[in-house]
Amino acid sequence: MGLNQGVLAAVFDYLQDLGLANWVRSSPSLFAYPAVLTGHALGLAIVVGINTLIALRLLGVAQAIPLAALRRLYGMVWIGFLINLMSGLLLFIAEAHTMAGMVAFWGKMTFVALGMIVAELLKRFYFADVASVEAGVVTSVGRNLAIISLACWYIALILGRLTAYPDMVNGWLHLSGRGS
Amino acid sequence: MQAFVNAHDWVWAVCQIIHFVGLSLIVGIVGTLDLRILGLFKSIPIAALRPLVPWAFVGFIGNLLTGIVFVTGKLQGPGYYTDNLSFRLKMLFVLLAFANLLIFQISGLEVRVYATPAGGTAPAAAKLVSVFSLVAWVLVIFFGRIMQYNDSLLMFLGL
Repeated sequence: MGLNQGVLAAVFDYLQDLGLANWVRSSPSLFAYPAVLTGHALGLAIVVGINTLIALRLLGVAQAIPLAALRRLYGMVWIGFLINLMSGLLLFIAEAHTMAGMVAFWGKMTFVALGMIVAELLKRFYFADVASVEAGVVTSVGRNLAIISLACWYIALILGRLTAYPDMVNGWLHLSGRGS
Repeated sequence: MQAFVNAHDWVWAVCQIIHFVGLSLIVGIVGTLDLRILGLFKSIPIAALRPLVPWAFVGFIGNLLTGIVFVTGKLQGPGYYTDNLSFRLKMLFVLLAFANLLIFQISGLEVRVYATPAGGTAPAAAKLVSVFSLVAWVLVIFFGRIMQYNDSLLMFLGL
């Protein structure tokens, strides 16, 4: 991938050579790679799990949950997102060149960003519609954004998992052995 | 199973994806229920969350089945997992989470919890069960994620 050459390659070299990156990558400590990876799995579960819960409610499951109360769950989404932003940065600098060379990684970044934008759109264009929310009505805007939200988060989850299998993905894409 | 899993590289990857979907459903739904019992999101009547519980169960069954694929399909043999301390601790905390759930149901706490209205406070004993549930599921994820780094765990424990 072109992203892994030129100026950007120098940036990835710099990141990967940082003491912190080296520690995450090679320390045998339980608090290095294992703990960061655990944080990333937990953050994923919070972000995907809570967004799924919100989408299910908007699509008709558990209709006794007041819609105004549902909106409050976005605080949890942000906590999960921040856990994953921090753990993700650590995981990225530890393997900057490998990660930056993966199509699946950049695809995941795209869908995570889209997922967060859709969450914000839901807040502004559905939950801000006080009349509908108070009346317990899910408008078509709410329903459609819920479906798009589910799609973004599960595509992001799938692509994130696929970054663990670069050889297999490259085989699908007919790229020659670039993997780990 | 082992031959099938190793003949097709996508089987392992697809099962991993299902395993992560399952863990997201469990954490998102059980975690929200636990936090509500602990007093967050009080405007939600606890019983309103109940129809979501079967979704967490579906996630759990998916993880049980894909977990069986991992253990029986591992190229190095099932001993890769069954001899691994992180794996054993993960299974222990899955069992403890279930024992916790059984106590929640048999003790009658579940009935009292679901009777808590919007704005209401759950019984103190239920809060204890919820703390235990949150801790157990976080540890399940932790030990699940560090199986590949079992040496780090052994070093940490001085074993």
